[in-house]
Amino acid sequence: MATTLSLMERIALLEQAQQGDSIPAAEVWKLLDAVKEMFGETPNGVHGHSSQLYQELGELAKFINGAKKELQEVKASNIADEHLPNATNHLDAIVQMTEQATGRIMDECDQITNFHNDAKERLLSADPAIDAEILMGVDDALNQAQTSVTHIYEACNFQDITVQRIQKVVKALQEIERQVLRMVVVFGLMENQGKLDAATTEELYADAALLQGPQLAGQGLEQDDIDAILAKLL
Amino acid sequence: MVDKNMRILVIDDALTMRRIVINLLRQLGFTNMNEADDGTTGWEKLNSETFDLIISDWNMPKMTGIDLLRKVRADEKYARTPFIMVTAEGKRENVIAAVQAGVSNYIVKPFNAATLKEKLVKVVGDF
Repeated sequence: MATTLSLMERIALLEQAQQGDSIPAAEVWKLLDAVKEMFGETPNGVHGHSSQLYQELGELAKFINGAKKELQEVKASNIADEHLPNATNHLDAIVQMTEQATGRIMDECDQITNFHNDAKERLLSADPAIDAEILMGVDDALNQAQTSVTHIYEACNFQDITVQRIQKVVKALQEIERQVLRMVVVFGLMENQGKLDAATTEELYADAALLQGPQLAGQGLEQDDIDAILAKLL
Repeated sequence: MVDKNMRILVIDDALTMRRIVINLLRQLGFTNMNEADDGTTGWEKLNSETFDLIISDWNMPKMTGIDLLRKVRADEKYARTPFIMVTAEGKRENVIAAVQAGVSNYIVKPFNAATLKEKLVKVVGDF
């Protein structure tokens, strides 16, 4: 076989091609020829184990071509380029909306607290003085209302937990996006190969292994469990 | 008896959580709260002012709560200052790591006013 490049050189070329170029089918066949040559066979005279290897490599080439066609049909580049970033943007929008809405709820809670304090002051400083029993009844009612305000504040915990969960999903989507982009590049389906360079995902797993919260139900500890650990350690 | 005017620094990158913690502290009668949005800005405030209690989140972008805790404990000024971790990190290894770093108490999110009060009583005394 007339070839000027060694097998290793061809593999190196293909690896280089993964950085952005497609792999032409002719290149795959040249690689197969180089493998045959390495085993001392000619393209027209394969037999025995080498023949089996040659057939398996042929099957592999078919599989790769098939996968490439399937990826073209599902428009993998669109998934990486459009659908996944869109999904991430929608999740970001949810985070912003819940933050704004929670801020609004807490603003109103602050207002209610101010009204309560103002009402108490007015009742206490009323002239003539209000009947003590009535005053106590109103004070009790205002205190109960204030307890409800506290419960609303407590319930607003949901926003922080929601954001942290969404951030986990966003990270997962970014990783999927990165992997799909890799496939798009490897199989030569990339219309704009610069996208891979733009994918900055190197810090996806940079966080310490301890940062995994919030946990799903049953996966993390309840406050009582934490207290039990603290009781032993502190 | 606890001084309700004690200086408390609340550190969390989520504005919502800072507001919740500060408001619940206010409901419990505390009056002197300050806030920071990350371990880095929290550390700057701890150095520029003096605080009697630190309440911090764990997972923050620039400096995590556990890193801040380690800095705080290594600093003579704050080596014994009560430090409560309020976090969504609810695994045993988190609690153990926090205790090893010198945390005073640990609250897992979501939490309520009663839990916050209980932990405050444990680290600063009854009120």
